[in-house]
Order: sequence, then C-alpha cells, then structure tokens
Amino acid sequence: MNWWRKSKERDLERELQSHLDLEAEEQREAGLPPESARLAAQRAFGNRTLTTEVTREAWGWTWIDRLRQDVLYSARTLRRTPGFTLVAVLSLGLGIGANTAIFTLLNAIVLRLLPVPDAHQLVQFTYTLPMWETNPNNWNGYFGYPQFARLREQSKTLSGVFGGTSLGRVNVDFRGTAGLAQADAYTGNFFSVLALTPQAGRFFAEDEDRIDAAVAVISDRYWRNRFAGDPAVIGANVTINQLPFTVIGVAPEDFTGITVGSAPDLWVPLRTLDRFRPDPRRWDAAFTSWLLIAGRLKPGVSLEQSQAELDVIHRRLIREQLESSTELRNSENLKRFVEASHMRLLPAAAGMHSFLRQSYAFPLKLLMAVAGIVLLVACANVANLLLARASSRKREIAVRLAIGASRRRVVRQFLTESLVLATLGGLLGIVIASVGSVALVTMISTGDTPLPLNVTPDWFIFGFAAGISLLTVVLFGLVPAIRGSRVDPAPAMKDGARGTADSSSAWNRGLVMVQVALSVVLVTGAGLFARTLQNLWNIDTGYRRDNVLMFSVDARLGGHPAERVGAIYSEILERMRSLPDTQSASASIVRPVDDHFYLVDRVQAVDGRRLPEADTIRVAWNAISPGYFSTVGTPLLTGREFSAQDDERAPKVVIVNESLAKAAFGKDNPIGRRIDAATVVGLVRDTNYNGVRDKPRPVLYHPLFQYGSAQAFRWGFVSFEIRHRAGANPLEQIRREVAGVDRTLPVFRVRTLVAQTQQALLRERLLAMLATFFGALALALACLGLYGLMAYAVTRRTSEFGIRMALGAGRAHIFWLVVRGTLGLSLAGLILGVPAALWASRFTESLLFGVKATDLVAVLIPVAVLAAVAALAGYLPARRAVRIQPTIALRYE
Amino acid sequence: MPKDPADRIELLQGTLDMLILRTLLFGKAHGHQIAKHIQRTTDEVLQVEHGSLYPALHRLERKGWIASKWETAAKEQKREFKYYRLTAAGHKQLTAEESKWKQLVHAIGRVMWPAEEG
Repeated sequence: MNWWRKSKERDLERELQSHLDLEAEEQREAGLPPESARLAAQRAFGNRTLTTEVTREAWGWTWIDRLRQDVLYSARTLRRTPGFTLVAVLSLGLGIGANTAIFTLLNAIVLRLLPVPDAHQLVQFTYTLPMWETNPNNWNGYFGYPQFARLREQSKTLSGVFGGTSLGRVNVDFRGTAGLAQADAYTGNFFSVLALTPQAGRFFAEDEDRIDAAVAVISDRYWRNRFAGDPAVIGANVTINQLPFTVIGVAPEDFTGITVGSAPDLWVPLRTLDRFRPDPRRWDAAFTSWLLIAGRLKPGVSLEQSQAELDVIHRRLIREQLESSTELRNSENLKRFVEASHMRLLPAAAGMHSFLRQSYAFPLKLLMAVAGIVLLVACANVANLLLARASSRKREIAVRLAIGASRRRVVRQFLTESLVLATLGGLLGIVIASVGSVALVTMISTGDTPLPLNVTPDWFIFGFAAGISLLTVVLFGLVPAIRGSRVDPAPAMKDGARGTADSSSAWNRGLVMVQVALSVVLVTGAGLFARTLQNLWNIDTGYRRDNVLMFSVDARLGGHPAERVGAIYSEILERMRSLPDTQSASASIVRPVDDHFYLVDRVQAVDGRRLPEADTIRVAWNAISPGYFSTVGTPLLTGREFSAQDDERAPKVVIVNESLAKAAFGKDNPIGRRIDAATVVGLVRDTNYNGVRDKPRPVLYHPLFQYGSAQAFRWGFVSFEIRHRAGANPLEQIRREVAGVDRTLPVFRVRTLVAQTQQALLRERLLAMLATFFGALALALACLGLYGLMAYAVTRRTSEFGIRMALGAGRAHIFWLVVRGTLGLSLAGLILGVPAALWASRFTESLLFGVKATDLVAVLIPVAVLAAVAALAGYLPARRAVRIQPTIALRYE
Repeated sequence: MPKDPADRIELLQGTLDMLILRTLLFGKAHGHQIAKHIQRTTDEVLQVEHGSLYPALHRLERKGWIASKWETAAKEQKREFKYYRLTAAGHKQLTAEESKWKQLVHAIGRVMWPAEEG
C-alpha cells in the first residue's frame, strides 16, 4: 500500500517537474533570460504545493491521512490525561470483556454450527412419548434398532440416515499403556452422511459396519494428546476394552462430534457393539430406546415435509411391533403410546440435542443481557467522563473553530478519540474474555476433564468484540462529540478553561441516574440468584455431606469376564474398609446426588399380589453394598442394612424408603412384607434421589452383590463411597489399593460428597457468581460515575461555595448541599430502577428456587447497598467542599 | 500576446474536464501540451492556470476516462513525458458532456436573447 503511494508521489513530482522544465524552455526560446524564464513558468503554473495536495485528494487517499492525523492527535491528548484514559479504557475493557466472554460461551454451546457442509440440512429424529401421569409433553430422542432400519429403508425425503450410541468410557491400550477414552459407535455411513473428509487415513465405510470390522477413527484432539499427532498411528493396532482394533483415520481438526459438550475420542462401527456387549435382542427388540438417529434432508425438502413422511413410517412400525408381540399386546401403557406417539424432527445444524445446551442456553442468554447492561453502565460512565472533559476543553475547541476547523471536523476529532478509547477497551476486552471464557468452561465442567468446548477466540468472536466496541463508540461518544463541538468561539475563549453551569450537567445527571437504575436491576438479580443457591444448598438432601469421598471404577475396563466383575468390586470394597482413615465404606450403582444416572423401574407386585397395570408403582432404584446408609449418613428407621450374607445364593431382599413404604403398605410396618419377589428388610429416610431440586420419591434399594451380580453389572461402573476421619485425604491410598487389585483399572469421578453436591448446583452457582460479579461491577461503575459527577460539581462550584461561606453559610449547610445532590440522584435512580428490576426479574422465574421473583428482600438489598454506596460517593466530595477556604476560593475567581 | 486581464474568462466549474477530454480526442498529449492547446484554441480567452490541470487529469484517470503512460517525446528522443490518451469510456463521457453542454448553451441563449430565437 505504502510503496504504491510513494511511487505515485514520485510520479506526480516528476510529471509536474517535466511540465515546468518544458514551459521554462519555451519561455527561454521566446527570449527570456534563464532565471526569468523559470519564474515565468512558475507563475503560469500557479501554486505547486497546492496543486500537489489537490491532486493527491483526487487519488482518494486523503481520508486515511486525516484519520492517521486524528488518531495520532487523539493518542497525544489521551496520553496527557492518563487518569481519564485509564478509567475509560478499564470500564470499556471490562464491559466488552464480559460481553465477549459470555458470547464466546454462548457461541460454543448454542450457536456454532457443526463444521460440516450444508449443516442446515441435518435433522435429529425424536418422537413424542406422552407420559400421562407425569409429563404429557415428554419426548425421547433414542430409538430401537428396528426403527432405524425401517426409517432408513423407507424414507424418500432424506439423502442419508445414520444412527449410533455412546460406548461411554473405554480403556484404550496402545503399546502396553492403558488410558481412558470416550468412544462412540455409529453406523458405517456416519461420516459420509456428514460429508466429512478425514485429515489423515480414511473413515470406515458403509460395508464395514460388521461385527468383525475392527476399525476405529480417532478425533483430532485424541490424536494430538494420546499419539502426539504422529501420522504413523494410521494402521496402528490398539486394544479397546481388550478387543483388538486398527486405527484407520483421523477426523478433521474442527470436528469434535455431533453433540455439544460430549466430544468422543474415537468412533467404531455400530455393529462392533456385539463384541463389546453381546446382546442377542439388540437388533430386533421392539420398544427399546438406545439409538440416536439423525439424517440429512435432500436438497429442497423442508423439515416439515420430511417429518410428515417419517411420522407415517414411525406410526405404522410401532403398530406392527405392538401387534406382532404376544407378550406386549395387552400392555395398556404401550397401547396408549402407540396411539399417541408422533415423530418430531429437530433441526440439528448446530448439533444434536444436548443436555448441556438445554440447561445452559437460557442462563447464558440471560447472562448475555446482564453483561449488556454492564456495558451500558460502562458506556454511560465513559460518556459522562467525556462530557466533563469536553466542557473543560472548550477553550481548545474554541481555538480550533476560530482558526477555521469545520464543526464536522471537530466532531470527527471527538469521535476518533472515542474510537481510540473503544479500540483500546476492545483489545483489553478480548484479553479478559479469552481468560474469562476458559475459566467459565472450567467452572461448568463436571467431569474429570474440562468440557470439550472450543472457546479459542476465532474471527467470529473478534468480529463480535469489534462490533460491540464500535457500538460503544456510538453509545458513549456521539452525544459528547456533538455537544462538545457546539461551542461559540468568542465567549468560550474569553471565559477561559473554566466551565460554566450549562445544560451538559443535565446530561451528566441523567446518565448517572440511568447507571444507578441499571445497577439496581443487576443487584436485584444477583440477590435472587444468590438466595436461590443458598436455598438449594440448605436443602436437606438426606445425606451427611462432610468427610465422604467417592470414586468410580469400571471392572469391565480391565477386560474381566462378567462373572469375575462382582468379585473385583467386593475385593476393592474390602480393601477400602481396611484403610486406616476409613470409618465406613460402601459401593453403589448410583452415587448420592449423581449427575450421570437415573434408574427407574415399576413395582409389579406387593405381598405376592400382582398390581393392575395402572397401579404399578413407579420407583427409582439403586443397588448398594452393606454399610451404604451409614456411610452416606441416611438414617435407617427400622429393620437392618444389607449384610454380607445377602448374596446371589441368599433369598432376595430389598430396602425401601418412606415414600415407597407409604405407597406400597400405607402406614403399616413394611419389614417382612414382600415387594415383587423380594422381602423388605429395612426402611430408610427419604433422600433426594435425582439431584438437589428433586422431590422425595419412592426408591427401592437392592443388595449390590445379589441383584448386581444377577444383572452382570450391566450399568457399567460402580461408585465407592468412603466416610473418612475428618481432615484425612485417603485418595493416594485409594489409588494404591485399587491398583493392588488390578493395575490396569482406572479410578475416575473422584469427588467429595460436598463437591458432588456443589456440582449438582453448578448452573445456579454460575448464575449466582456471575450475576453477583456483574452486579458489583455495575454498582462500582455507577458509584464511580456518581463520585465523578459530584467531585466535578464541587470543583466547578468552588467559588460559589466560597461566597456562601463568606456570607456566613455553615459547614454543615455546605456539606448537606453536596450530599443532597448525591442522594437526590440515587433516589431518582432507585425510583427508575426498582420497577425495572421487578419487571426484569420475571424472566428469571424458571431459574429461581425458594424465592419469588417479586421478593421484597431481593429488592431491599440493592436499595440498602446503593444507599451505602451513594453515601460514600457523596461523602468524599462533600468533605472537600467543606474544606474550601473562602479567601482562596474567591481569589481563584 | 496575452489579452488584457479584463477580457479573460474564468472557467466554469466542470468545463475543464470536458475541454481536456476534447483536447485528447486528437490523440495522446502530455499536460503541457493540453494546457497550451486549450489556451491557443480559445485565443487565450480561457485562462487555465497550468497547475489546476493536474488534479483534473488525475481525477479523470481515476474515473477511467483517460489513461496515462510515460513515453519519449516524438521530437526529442531523450526526454520522457507522461502522455494521456482517451479511453473508450472517455469517448462516451465526452459525447455525454458535449450534449449536456449544448443544452446548457441553448437554454442560456433562450433566456439571454429571446428575440433571436424567433
């Protein structure tokens, strides 16, 4: 760019010179002496410098020149007032940073499209599953395999249909080193329907979806982390849960799976499931629910058209399935299901339905609005500073106008200054955001590793930051620029740099009022979320939270045959019990306040009497080892805990909780009564089975080493709970002991019960923390605005106060004069803010617990906080006003 | 000899462009030649300050109506001048401006000398 410009300059120079030379020559030829000829040529030519400048303008470059000038001048002016610049850049940086950080997360979780061609053609299959007792709007995204086969075979509106499921944690052994990985199993056309290209090797093909196809595709992240990005991994042999596989390809760098929040490390063909977990009924059992199905619409086909077609196929199939099965045909529930279920397609351009997205989409949008308000407050602050600055720069502006600058030019100068501020603020914001968003991801991660979310700033994020930075220029820069340039040179220059009371203070006051009002809204919100979190934390979940450490082990990852699995768990449990720090230890399928599991069943018979289908009792269940209740601190009301004798050979026993006892036996003593084929041996207090917000529900407890073994521990890992001596940290011993049982067994999900409960309240914590942080930030900014305005007012009214004092006004009177101003503004802000807060908090209702959106305390808190803050912001300037010496103040005049 | 300054006419805004384009209709010319040509052909009634020619030339070039090239002069081989020539777009532009100009002259004529129009 620059060299081009320089060559143009040289070219023009040469052109003009050749003209002058030629003219001078002609004049000489006409008889003039050389010197006069040269002058005559110059006369005829006119002003050469002007010509050069005007010509340059014809090139269309001048605006860059002017911009450069303005930017340099702005930089100089801003450097001269480092305090102002620092406060302005910091406020903007925090505002922009907050917005960018939340937006980064929103983008990663909700907005970003799958990195596949024509992502908008992707749809996920779901069907409605009306549950008459609980939720008539229930739906399900998991199908049985016959559904998949039928839909794929009959649909004409889709160019491809794939299906798959998660294998969960697997143990990948490469050259003798074991390691955990997340694996998915998908049909052979998975990659081709997504239209992806491998970055190395190849993907598995349609005809490779066979039980004996021992091929695996790995993700870019796994390739880099586990195999150091070595291209030689293509063709390498690994074992997955002790089964041999060959790595055949690496997925593209930006493809992290099809569901936000779960990024598989490797993919294997769906049919290999038969080797991992043989199940003869897997491929043709009706009414099962384990397979995710998605597809790609043919070009030009709308989602509704395809849904209509697939609904017909779906309904025909479930009817056939019901009629062809003699054992299911009479089930009332299934009949109702077949009657009422319809196919629903979900747009899947941004990935499949995700629990992470479902739980965070609304809170993040809410936080986005909150961050937006913070930015507004920050802008109001900077606008206020600029207004004050403009009035103290009147003299400079007057001079500039007087010597011929146009008003537009002055406005542009002001706006350039704002632009420089916003650019600096934006850069700071990006830095804050990139640190902040990583911290946020860590915060919302419940697993052993941070959630696989891509929050590295990309061009989209930079664009967003640049966009809101520009927006802030308009928000905070426009009014000060227009007002600042509206200067009548003559009086302004006479008056000197001292400002006079003018209407700009009305703007100032208005802005501060808005700041106060907005921060009232945010502090109210913060109060609501903080109290929600507190309420949830204080709920009695039925467990004693302190001094319990939990971890999970999956014996199948060690490749142990099903019949050995129970023995392994029992050996680990024995070793845990003998640790010196252990007070008691237990094992269970579902751990207290679990974030993974939810096991439900129906009690079909009570006391040997078979219940009519409509009256079967829906229960949540768990399988637990002896000592479970004493370890997690759930009181045993009557009867006994399970004992070591309750094993596979012993008669079947169960323990019930209060809700189940009430549902099955009313007020009678449940001990010795029968539920299905088992005898009730104990009754325990209700616990919140499914998270903190859960209501007490009927729960049935089976003995782990009786029921679990019978079911071959098919649920995967088992969780161990250890109640230990206070202050002890037995984790190292635990790892050693587990390794002592089997060196290859990984220990995962290590967490205290306190941490587990905190994680169950993660969303609430995130909201409470961020809302409090943003509220405090807005309040601090508003306070700064209030203080700045008052301090400035005191400076401007120095002589007025001096005269008042000279005429006999007391110090208390002056003090009150200033404080009154602050309180007036705060009050006005409150009057605006409280109704706004009440109105806005309605939107948070669905996220609250144990507190109403129109909670009086939640509104009174910000009022009190604001009063305190306003008093502080008013006190300092008032003290200065009181200390004014009349003689000095008047001499200053 | 130049005429008395009182007889000189300031160029109307925008007409310089047209005059330049018209001059280049005869073939390529450098800045000095263009200036001289305009002066000569108007019997020195139109005074072009040589310097004002260059912004106009560069503007016309940017609009694509003329193109430039450094070439040696036909007479003296040793010196190079920046020659301008009309482009196809320039030809079109000249026609358009000419007809606009004719309309203008015609209109002004009707105001100034209504009788002569008959």
